[in-house]
Amino acid sequence: MFKGYNLKRYRKYVLPLVILILVTEGASIVCKADFTSLEQGLLKGVSFIGFMFPPDWSAFGEMVQPAFQSIVIAFLGTVFGTLLAIVFALFAASNITNKWVRNITRFFIGLERSLPEIIIVLLLIAAFGLGPMAGILTLTLGCIGMIGKLLADVIEELDPVMMESMASVGANKLQVIIFGVLPQIMPNLISYTLFRFEINIRLSVILGAVGAGGIGYELDYSFGMLQYHRAFTALLVIIAMIFGTEHLSQRLRNKIKMEGALK
Amino acid sequence: MSIADSITLPSKKYKQRATIFSVSAVVISLTCIYMGFNPISFFTEFHYVRDLLGEMFPPNYHVITDDSSIPFSILQTLSMAFLGTLYGGAIAVVIAFLAALNTMPYRIIRVLSSITLSLLRVVPNLVVILIFVIAVGPGAFAGMLTLVISTIGTFGKLFREIIENCESPPGEAIYSVGASRVQVIKFSIIPQILPSLIANFLYAFDVNIRTAIGLGIFGGGGIGFALQMAKSVMHFKDVTALISLIIVLVFLVEKISDYLRRKILGEGKLK
Repeated sequence: MFKGYNLKRYRKYVLPLVILILVTEGASIVCKADFTSLEQGLLKGVSFIGFMFPPDWSAFGEMVQPAFQSIVIAFLGTVFGTLLAIVFALFAASNITNKWVRNITRFFIGLERSLPEIIIVLLLIAAFGLGPMAGILTLTLGCIGMIGKLLADVIEELDPVMMESMASVGANKLQVIIFGVLPQIMPNLISYTLFRFEINIRLSVILGAVGAGGIGYELDYSFGMLQYHRAFTALLVIIAMIFGTEHLSQRLRNKIKMEGALK
Repeated sequence: MSIADSITLPSKKYKQRATIFSVSAVVISLTCIYMGFNPISFFTEFHYVRDLLGEMFPPNYHVITDDSSIPFSILQTLSMAFLGTLYGGAIAVVIAFLAALNTMPYRIIRVLSSITLSLLRVVPNLVVILIFVIAVGPGAFAGMLTLVISTIGTFGKLFREIIENCESPPGEAIYSVGASRVQVIKFSIIPQILPSLIANFLYAFDVNIRTAIGLGIFGGGGIGFALQMAKSVMHFKDVTALISLIIVLVFLVEKISDYLRRKILGEGKLK
């Protein structure tokens, strides 16, 4: 009768399940996570969100400039980051530079990628003081880390025939890069840049709260001053900002994809 | 449209490029002036960075062995990321099934769950952690709950797309011989999506480790909190030690997650 339900058949599932449950339990103890505190916390959280309603409509005017500043920080970070990322990507591609330069560049890119942006901005604030400078530099570094790696991978997978044929008719390295490599990576570059801009908009909000200025600072300040209605206004502006850029970038990326498919 | 219209003459092309270039140069310099940001000042003021680096090196690794709270905070960050991935991912899968076109026949539920997903996606983590810190108090639990919310937001939409991209013929075949809707999900859709689901859980863990470190700075507990503490009392040598620890942690998690994903999905399917 129990033939279909012997342990042997389910051993594949039992052991991982037991490990999963044990790890979850251990992690819950470490995090002090339990349902009673979650229940109390949720009640508190819901009543707190109730405090935030309605938004302070009169504060909208004050939010426009910080929001614009956040967008500008994200924009400048993306622009400088992308320009530098192209240089770094060229240095990190094995078919453009030699092995040593490639590995060293890749090491630095990997180092940057494994540090969360928020830690970089804390260090840069310690160096340059509060202000947009630290924010823009952080986003620039983040761009170099992400776009640099992605582009370097794209460049390494390029068809070598084109570059070889250019070199064989006498083009020097710079000419090969400008006329052979850049046009080929352009569609990828644009779509990565747009994607990174989306991420940078989100990040600029968080970086603002740490001290880079902009709408994130307004939000953190309002929370700190217990002006929850004002904080809710800032939140609405942030949501509109993120939603808007996301849609814009997605639309542009789809357009580029379509044009790329047509060619 | 005649052929002549579609051909861009070289002279015109140069003009176009020059216009694009000059317009973007003007926009960039205007925004730089607006923010009071001077890219060159990075080099002229580089001595600040040098001063900071001078204070940061050599790293004080004794802080890791002497302060017993540091190993615990690493464990905390890992468990935050783990629980956030597990619970957030599980909830994301459920909402994704409710939002997918091929598993939920009722339009109203689909629309509602899609709205939930996109709402969770646009609310910044910063706001969520600030609210949870007030709700459950600062610490790893608040960070974990924030990770749950952000995992649902980031991966819910992805899971929905995975479910919608399933092959429909196997499901139709068993539906036609009398399987119920739940049976179609159980025997046709779940076996198809399971590998990429597990791979995405591993990827989510990788992402969440980074987020968990960042959340610590806003009161989410873990290694980020320890770092913030060391930084606010200006112990920059401890900061360097903690940063190197974080780099090792993130790097290891990324490599393990990559390795496991490659194993699950098979070589070449990772991208």
